[in-house]
Amino acid sequence: MFLHQLDLTTALRPSLLPEETLLFVQDAVGLYEGKFKIPQYQNGQAYLTSHRTCYVDHAEPRKNSVAIFLKDIEKPDFYAGFLKSSPKITLYPKPANQLSRGLSAPVAARSPSSGSPERRNSPAPAPSMTASWICPICSFSNPVPSNFDPALASRTPIPPCLACGIKPPTMHVVKAAIAAISNRPAPGPPPKDNKDGTTASTSSSGGIVSCPRCTYQNHPSLLNCEICGASLTTVVDRRLEHVAEIRRADSPGPSLTTPIQTTNIECIKLSFRSGGEKIFYERLKNALVQRKWLLQSAPPIPKPRPNSGAFDDSYSSKSGKSSAEIERPRVVGIAGLERRGLEQRQNNEAMIGNAFEDLEALMTSAKEIIALAEQFAQQANLGTNGSSEDNALASQSASALGLITTKDMLGSGSESLYVSELSRNLAEWLTDDTRGVLRRGGGIMTLVDLWAMFNRARGGVELVSPADFEKAARMWDTLKLPIRLRQFKSGLLVVQGRDRTDEKTIASLLTWLKSLHNEVPSSDVSWDWQLYGRGITAQETAEKFGWSVGVAIEELEMAEEAGVLCREQSLDGFRFWENWLVKMPHSSVTV
Amino acid sequence: MATTTEPPTAFQFPPHYSFPPFFTLQPVATTRSSQLQSWSTFIQSYCRHHHIFSLSLIDALSTPLFHNTTLSRQLSLRDAKAILTWMASPEGGSRAEFISSTGNKKKAVDEGEGGRVWIYWRRPEEWAAQLEEWVDRTGQKGVVLTLYEIVEGEASVREEFAGMDMELLRMSLGVCVKRGRAQIFSSGGEGEGIKFF
Repeated sequence: MFLHQLDLTTALRPSLLPEETLLFVQDAVGLYEGKFKIPQYQNGQAYLTSHRTCYVDHAEPRKNSVAIFLKDIEKPDFYAGFLKSSPKITLYPKPANQLSRGLSAPVAARSPSSGSPERRNSPAPAPSMTASWICPICSFSNPVPSNFDPALASRTPIPPCLACGIKPPTMHVVKAAIAAISNRPAPGPPPKDNKDGTTASTSSSGGIVSCPRCTYQNHPSLLNCEICGASLTTVVDRRLEHVAEIRRADSPGPSLTTPIQTTNIECIKLSFRSGGEKIFYERLKNALVQRKWLLQSAPPIPKPRPNSGAFDDSYSSKSGKSSAEIERPRVVGIAGLERRGLEQRQNNEAMIGNAFEDLEALMTSAKEIIALAEQFAQQANLGTNGSSEDNALASQSASALGLITTKDMLGSGSESLYVSELSRNLAEWLTDDTRGVLRRGGGIMTLVDLWAMFNRARGGVELVSPADFEKAARMWDTLKLPIRLRQFKSGLLVVQGRDRTDEKTIASLLTWLKSLHNEVPSSDVSWDWQLYGRGITAQETAEKFGWSVGVAIEELEMAEEAGVLCREQSLDGFRFWENWLVKMPHSSVTV
Repeated sequence: MATTTEPPTAFQFPPHYSFPPFFTLQPVATTRSSQLQSWSTFIQSYCRHHHIFSLSLIDALSTPLFHNTTLSRQLSLRDAKAILTWMASPEGGSRAEFISSTGNKKKAVDEGEGGRVWIYWRRPEEWAAQLEEWVDRTGQKGVVLTLYEIVEGEASVREEFAGMDMELLRMSLGVCVKRGRAQIFSSGGEGEGIKFF
């Protein structure tokens, strides 16, 4: 199975796996299987994430959406388009036996070390796992230290080059290590490997396949090289793709008449009908090189505890500067606390020092730095008057930055796509239960408040202009998202869940008013409170339902407009009552 | 204004009267029309009970009609006027009429605070019919009656029009005259007579 069921969020975007980040979005994309169009998958949005390529259909998002795991992709190919034929990106699946085996193990459970040998189906023993990095200065091939973990790159000390003694850039070693983990046949830097592959494929002719490792010319039916045992499947596949490349000029092709056979997919093509293919391809290639999915099972980053409670010794020693600290005697009391604080500061210092050495290093350790920054922010807040809810919200969402669509993620600068993505983003952000933005506002909040909160949550980058924001909010209806924008008759724009209709609001107001019939009023009242209940002010309503007063007034007036409530103007302002003026039988005395 | 003496039986206020929002004129159309209807009914039955034929707005505001002392809620002058204006309109069944001091009917509504209002718990036409019926019933056809006799006479003590305002009586009798059922004699000075036939 190459195509996977795709889980969608409430806002009909792909729900991302842990650690997964969104890289690119493009609309007006169609899917092909081989050279045939897949019916019902012809107009949708293509999402490129660090782990997957997702197709979400425009018309039937819940039904016709698929995901392709990047780990299942042998290689992508690019076709620039010709006359009426749109540009396409072809994704070739890895050979079936490898795929099925890869699928049997859940994605999250696969560890980099155990996964890679499993995927090789060569009878020859796997070459030793030691990776090597090539010094950019003297081009000496150095071994990557065995305890080196790409996820913790910024914390692990890297030994300098054995020949020239110059410390390599962190990213360089990380790349080499990742390449080694994913176990490409040639352990060189990935881009170079790619080039090797293409030359190998072009050299193959007349049904004879040359081994990418030893260049021995094998019979095409062989899966592994006769001489060195290296896998030939990749090469075979490339040969197929070479043929497909010629065929593709015939498009626009016919549609598939039968439903997709998920078992035997030759290749999947993404057809870009309104541009964006180049950036998509670039980022897809990058994602395939980076192989972020391999890092999924990396050990969690050791977190320095904010209150320096029990410090995790094993981690601190590993990431600390000197190994002499491992067998540190336990010191108790104030001295111990001070010592712990000192260690933590040193640790932070090292981390920051490493991270800011260059941009690439910063990118690899971005997550740790964000965690650290949040922690600093917390400490800073403790000094001032605590942390307000909004601040907490803002810092929480820093971790959700990956979820947020920015303008540079979208292709061809199409404004409408940006707005619709922003709209989905907003809906997602609002409906996220962990954050409970709407719940905190009593299920309803004004658009202006939301705009301020959203921009604050973005942490000061990629701020949304009010115009874009309003446009995005107005798209909720057309995109059928679970959030709706509502205009009160005063012109006030509010945001609320789609399930919260006027009828429900009225019902809840009435229930509350009815409950007041049984509640003895706090002060002496002169009317029959058991019959009429009592009047409520906007203030009371706001407190009761957690709304803002402005919203409460609007809701009460809405209910009044519907004839459910009536008002009473007295010395202490407006009060709203159940509408007994209409419902009550008229006075028994007749004219 | 006619008699204001309390009748022996207390007036039964409608249930709305003890509902505080009743004293605030509602802005929403449907609720408002229902409220106006309730007020109209209430005012008419109140006036009938107390034999009130006309109201002076200002004075009436402090009466139990517009002022519920137990609730300490009071109808504002503006709202009271709005209610009476509605009652005077065809929509409200023309159950009230503003009395103009100058005789100009159109201007009467605008005269405002000092204005007096007829409360037609019986419209003049209805009064006319009732008078005719009374004359018929008591066998006074062809007899000349004075107006005073009609409202204050012993024969009419039990009738609804006992103690009726002279002005209103004249209007009602005018209706009878128009119908050709009666004739008014003006014998100069005070005494005015009417003969039904």
